[in-house]
Amino acid sequence: MNILLDNDTSLLIFGFLIQFTSIFFIFLKKNKSAVFFSNTINIIGLAFSLFISIKFLFTSNGNTFPLFYNFVKIDTLSLFFLFLIQLISIPTSIYIFSYLKHYIDEKRNVRSFMLFFILLIISSQMIVIANHAILFLICWEMMSMTGFLGMLLEYEKNEVQKGSFYYFAASHVIVFILYIMFFILHKLTGSWFFDEYQKNLQIIYPVTIFLLGFLGFGIKAGFIPFHFWLPQAHPIAPTVLSAFLSGVIIKLGIYGIFRTYLFLKPLPEWVGWLVIIISLVSAIFGVWYALAQHDIKKLLAYHSVENIGIIGIGFGLGLIGAANNSLPVQILGFGGALLHTLNHAIFKSLLFIGSGVIYQNLGTRNIEEMGGIVHRAKYLSIFFLIGSIAISGLPPFNGFISEFIIYVGFFKTANELKNYYPILMLLFAVGLALVGGLAVACFTKVNSIIFLGTARKEIKKFVINIYDYISLGLLSSLCIIIGFFPTPFVYLIGKIIKYDFVNYSYRSVLETIEWNNFSFIFISFSSLATIIFFIKKYFNKKYSSRKIEAWGCGYNNITPRMQYTASSFADELNEIPKSILLYHKKIDLSENVFPKSFHFESHSEDLVDSKVVIPFYNNLRNILDKIQFLSQTDIRYYIGFILITIFIYSLLSFIWN
Amino acid sequence: MLEGIISLIIVIFISPLFAGMINKYKAIFTGRIGAPVFQPYYELIRLIKKETINASSSSFVSKIAPIIIFLSMIFVSSIIPVGFLKPLISFNGDIILFAYILGLARFLQILSAMDIGSSFEGMGAAREATFALFAEPIFFFSIGSIAFISGHTSMYEIFNSILLNNIGYEIFIIVCSISVFILAITECSRMPVDDPNTHLELTMIHEVMILDNSGFDLFLYQFSSYIKLTIYALIEISFFYPFGKQNHFLGILIFIVGFLTLSITLALVETITSRYKMKLIPQYLLFATSIGILNLLIYTFMK
Repeated sequence: MNILLDNDTSLLIFGFLIQFTSIFFIFLKKNKSAVFFSNTINIIGLAFSLFISIKFLFTSNGNTFPLFYNFVKIDTLSLFFLFLIQLISIPTSIYIFSYLKHYIDEKRNVRSFMLFFILLIISSQMIVIANHAILFLICWEMMSMTGFLGMLLEYEKNEVQKGSFYYFAASHVIVFILYIMFFILHKLTGSWFFDEYQKNLQIIYPVTIFLLGFLGFGIKAGFIPFHFWLPQAHPIAPTVLSAFLSGVIIKLGIYGIFRTYLFLKPLPEWVGWLVIIISLVSAIFGVWYALAQHDIKKLLAYHSVENIGIIGIGFGLGLIGAANNSLPVQILGFGGALLHTLNHAIFKSLLFIGSGVIYQNLGTRNIEEMGGIVHRAKYLSIFFLIGSIAISGLPPFNGFISEFIIYVGFFKTANELKNYYPILMLLFAVGLALVGGLAVACFTKVNSIIFLGTARKEIKKFVINIYDYISLGLLSSLCIIIGFFPTPFVYLIGKIIKYDFVNYSYRSVLETIEWNNFSFIFISFSSLATIIFFIKKYFNKKYSSRKIEAWGCGYNNITPRMQYTASSFADELNEIPKSILLYHKKIDLSENVFPKSFHFESHSEDLVDSKVVIPFYNNLRNILDKIQFLSQTDIRYYIGFILITIFIYSLLSFIWN
Repeated sequence: MLEGIISLIIVIFISPLFAGMINKYKAIFTGRIGAPVFQPYYELIRLIKKETINASSSSFVSKIAPIIIFLSMIFVSSIIPVGFLKPLISFNGDIILFAYILGLARFLQILSAMDIGSSFEGMGAAREATFALFAEPIFFFSIGSIAFISGHTSMYEIFNSILLNNIGYEIFIIVCSISVFILAITECSRMPVDDPNTHLELTMIHEVMILDNSGFDLFLYQFSSYIKLTIYALIEISFFYPFGKQNHFLGILIFIVGFLTLSITLALVETITSRYKMKLIPQYLLFATSIGILNLLIYTFMK
C-alpha cells in the first residue's frame, strides 16, 4: 500500500489541517476573540480547500485518489459533494460573525457552539471522502452529534429541548439502520471498503440493501413520511445551523443514497418507481405543508422536504433509465438530481440566513407579525427575492436550470422507452408543474407578507451589518451565475455521471441541450429590462410621477391590520387538502350584535408527526411504564437479571448445539 | 431570425387590435355600437401620457414588476410560431421555458399587487395564486400531452408535427384545443372566470391586482395583457395549420380567419355567460383538466 501524496493531495490535506487548527483558537481567553479568530481561520481553511476541490473537480479525468491506506478515497462524486459543503460553509461561517455577536453580549457559551460547528463542517467533509464503512459511520455519528450539540445553544428553552430531541432520536434511528446495512454488506463481500462494494457485482439481495439505505439516508434527507423531524428541528436550531442543516446535512442523506446506489448498481425498475412516487409525494405535500405555516423557519424546513422530493424525482428517473439501459435518461435523471442538490443548497441557505437576519432584528419568527421590511432593508429584500424566485424554479435563476433538466428527462424517457411511458411521464411532469405552482403561491406569500406592504408591528430598528450582506451577496450571486451561465456547471455534472455512474464516450444528451441559448435569452432579457426601465424613467419625468395613499373605497383610515395576512392569502389553497394538512380554523365571535373583538386562528399540524410518531411514542411509553417495576433501585435485582440472562443464553447455546 | 423578428412585430402590433375586435363584437352582440376597433391603441397612447401614481407603501417591486411582466410576454410570444414563420426563440425544451416565463410573470404580478398593502389587491393576488394552480395542469394536459406523444419539445416543432391525416389524432387535437380555450379564458382573465370590465373589486382577479396602477405602469400592464391574449389566440390557431404543406397564402388566410373566429367566439362566450361564483371556478378548471386527461387516455387506448 502506498500513500499517494503528490503535490495536489498534500494541498488538500493542508486545507483540512488549517480547518483543524481553527479549533485551537476557541481556547483564547475572550469569547469575542475566540469566535473571531477560530471562525476566520476556519473560513481561510475552507476557502483554501474549496479552491483545491474546484481545481480537482474541473481537471479531474476520472481518477481517484486513495489516501491513508485507502481509508479515504476521493472520486468525482466525493469531490462534487466536498465542493458543495465547502461552498455553503463559507457564507454560513461568514454569517456567524454577525449572528453570534448578540449571543456573545448575552454571555452564552459561544465557544462550545463554535467547536461543534467547526467539527460539524469537518466531519461532513470527512463523510463524503470516507472509503471505509467504519470510518464513514464514525464521521456520520460525529456529524449527527455535533449538529445536535450545536442546536442546544439556547438549551434552557422548552421548544429547543423538544426540537433537538426529535433530531437526536431521528439521528440514532438512522445510524442504527446504517449499521445494519453496512454489516450486511460486510457479510456479503467480506470487506469494509466502499470501492470493494462498488467493484463487487455479485452482491445478493441488492434491493433489500438499497431499501435499507434509502430508509436510513432518506430519514436524513427528509422524504415524506420520514420528514417529521425536519420541521421540528429546523426552527429551533440557531439560524447558522439551520442554514447548514438544510443546505448541507440533508444533502449528505442524498449523498448516501447515491453512494448506496453505486454499490448495488443494477436495480430492478420498480425500485425506481417507488423512489419517484415517494419523491413526488414529498414534493407536493412538502410545499403544501409549507404553505400552511406561519413560522418562517418551519416553512423553509418544509420547503426542504419539497426540494428533496424534486431531487428524488431526478434520482428515481435515473434509476428507471438504468433499469432500462437507457443512457440519456440516466444522465438527465441523475444529472438533474445532482444539480438540484447544489442549487438547493445555495438558495436554501440564502433564505435561511435571510430569515435569520429578520429574526435578529424583530425577535419573532411569526410572519404574521412582519411586513414592510422592504422600506427598512431594501437589499435584504432583493436578496430574499432572488432566493425565492430561484427556489420556485423560475427563470432566470439556478432553480430553473435543474428543474429544466428533470423535465427534459421526462420527455426523453417518453421518447426512448415508448410504450406506456409517455403517459406516466406526463403525469410526473404535471406533478412537477403543480409543485412549481404551489411554490410560487408559497413564496409570493412569504415575500409579500414579510417584506411588502406596511409594518404590522412597529419595527424599532433594523440593522444589517456587513457580514450579513457578504454572505447573502455571495449566495445570491451564485444563484445568478448558475442561472445565467449554466454551461460549465452542466458539463461538470456530466463529468461526474460519466466517471462514476455510467461510462460513455460520445457527447451526452446533457451537452446537446443548447445551454448557451439560456445565457443569451436571460442576458438579453435583463438588458432589455434595463432599457425599458430608463424609458419608463424618462416618461415618468416627462409626465411626472408621485406617490399617494392607496385607494380604500373612500375609507380614509386604513391601518396595517387591514392588509391581507399570510393565512388569508393561503386559505383557499389550504382548504383543498384539509384532512392531510390537518388544517384547523377557529373563529370566536362574541355574542353581541356589535362585537368589539374577534378571535381567529388557523394552524396546521403534521400528519405523520401527530398521527404516527406521537401515538407510537405514547404507546411505547405506556408499555414501558408497565414493565417499569423491573427497574429497581436495589443493585441486587440487577445482578439477578444478569444471572438470568446468562442462564438463558447458555441454555439457548446448549439447545442450539 | 428575420422570420422570428417579423412574427414578433406582428404579435406586438396586432395584439391591441385583437382586444379591440373582441370588444367591438361584444358591443354588437349586446346591441350597442361600441368603441372603434382601434380604441385599445388610443388607450395605450393615452396611458403613456398620464401621470404615474404609485401607492405610498409601494417599493421597488412595483417599479420593476410591470417591466418584467411586459418583457416576459414579449419573450413568451417569441416562442410561439406565427403562421409558418419560425419563431425567434426555438430550441429543444422551449415549451418548459414558455410555461416558466409565464410563471415568472405571475410571480411578479402577485408581488406587485401585494406591494400596495391594500386588501383589495391582496384578494386578487390570493385568487390569482389559487387559480393558477388549477390552470397549470391544463397546459400540460393539452400542449404538454401533444409534446409527449409527438416527442418534440419545441413549440415550433410541436405545432409542425400536427398532421391532420388521422381521424383519431384529429379528434385528439380538437379536444386539446378546447382545453387550451378554457386555459386561455382563465389566463387572460376573461368571462366566465374573470370579468375584465367590472368595477366591483370583490369579483375581480386580474383587474383588482392593477387597481392602484396608472400611467406608464398601467400602459405596460395593459399591453402585456393584450399580448397574453394574442399568445393564447396564436396557440389556438396554430392547432389548425396544415403544417404538412407550407403555403404562405394559406397561412395568412388561416391567420385572419382564425383571429376573426376566435374574437367572435370569445365575444359570444362573454355575451351569453355570466361570471361564475368564485367557489365554482376551481371546478370549472378541473373540468378542463379532466377533459385533457380523458382525451389523452382515449387517444392512447384507441391507438
